[in-house]
Amino acid sequence: MSTVIFTLRLLLLTALLGWFTPALATDVESSSLGDVVIPQPPKPVDAVTCVEPVEVMRREHMKFLMHQRDATVLDGERDSKYSLVGCMDCHNPSKSSETAETAVRYPDPEHFCAGCHLYTSVRIDCFECHADRGLAKSQQGRLLLPPEQGLLSMQTFHDLKGRSDGD
Amino acid sequence: MATELDDIELRPARRRFLLGASALAAATIAPGLLLYQVGQASESDAKTPRWGLLIDTNALSEADVDACVEACQREHGWHSEAGSKTDAQWIRKVGLSEPGSDQQRFLPMMCQHCAEPPCVAVCPTGASFKRADGIVLVNKHTCIGCRYCMMACPYKARSFIHEALHDQLPVAPRGKGTVESCTLCVHRVDRDGANAVPACAEAVNRAGRKPILFGDLNDPDSEISQRLQRLGGTRLRADLGVDPGVRYQGL
Repeated sequence: MSTVIFTLRLLLLTALLGWFTPALATDVESSSLGDVVIPQPPKPVDAVTCVEPVEVMRREHMKFLMHQRDATVLDGERDSKYSLVGCMDCHNPSKSSETAETAVRYPDPEHFCAGCHLYTSVRIDCFECHADRGLAKSQQGRLLLPPEQGLLSMQTFHDLKGRSDGD
Repeated sequence: MATELDDIELRPARRRFLLGASALAAATIAPGLLLYQVGQASESDAKTPRWGLLIDTNALSEADVDACVEACQREHGWHSEAGSKTDAQWIRKVGLSEPGSDQQRFLPMMCQHCAEPPCVAVCPTGASFKRADGIVLVNKHTCIGCRYCMMACPYKARSFIHEALHDQLPVAPRGKGTVESCTLCVHRVDRDGANAVPACAEAVNRAGRKPILFGDLNDPDSEISQRLQRLGGTRLRADLGVDPGVRYQGL
């Protein structure tokens, strides 16, 4: 009797495995699991490689940033490679050299960081203080533009936010 | 863009290589025949600087001081409503008038980057701190917004962010619930060292005329030390013994 039950269980298991495996494979290829779309963060602009291989960055970027954060604030190390400003300069730069208005903003799921964080239900508060987009080099640390041109107005921010909420 | 990425990656490696090379030279060549002094490659041997400002109020008009404030706002992306007591105030204009005369004088007032900062002494989390080079900052990652430092500061140099902000600049992260103040343009100092020019100084300095002079107070040969040696400079509220890094002339 127990042999029969064991064989049945084995059959059921094989059937289940056979059912799910190809389904998973196709889903990953089409970048979606049911209604959930797997994020495809934007590749760096104008740079061939990231500071680390993609697999490392996926798992470790938060540790790099956390370490860099203290090194920068306490010791003033601003030129080492794991800088949040560096991430934004490459992955979410302002498309126009004149204004910041062309860059994607953090509330938008299209944002380099927001896509994966939404997917994995991670809530970060980096961008409550930090800039969520790279500014043109001319805007960094040099006063070239008056604030009304260099910065997004509150109205524009809410327009953008409303647009991404609506989507 | 690609070359900058390369630079960023190469710099630490290059530094290690240079350090290694000099150590090797010291080890292999006979005494007295060193190709390199080991000390040349080591940064820790250099005397730690203490960054400071020397502000010549004789050379600053009211418009100049306004220009300083505006430059700071533009550089760091903060704004202030006229008359508001709770707005951000990294730098402000202070007017002095001589009773019984029409004499008026204006000076920019900001964090004085004290050697013995009271804001650091009272901070319960260690967020308010003094860097090795004398710049006093708020580590906003650990600031809990208790505002003890604002009460402790004799210069009223710090302000608290009451509202959520948007569109902060990359060089100046700022956020609700934290205290902030003048950083001595620390992002420029880290980039340019002794040649750095803070935004307020950049706004008023012209060729051959530097009403706001940035420099190393620890280096006796620096321009700021030379000028202090020659003409002197006033520490505001020197009686408190906090030893400010910002000095004024003409008061």
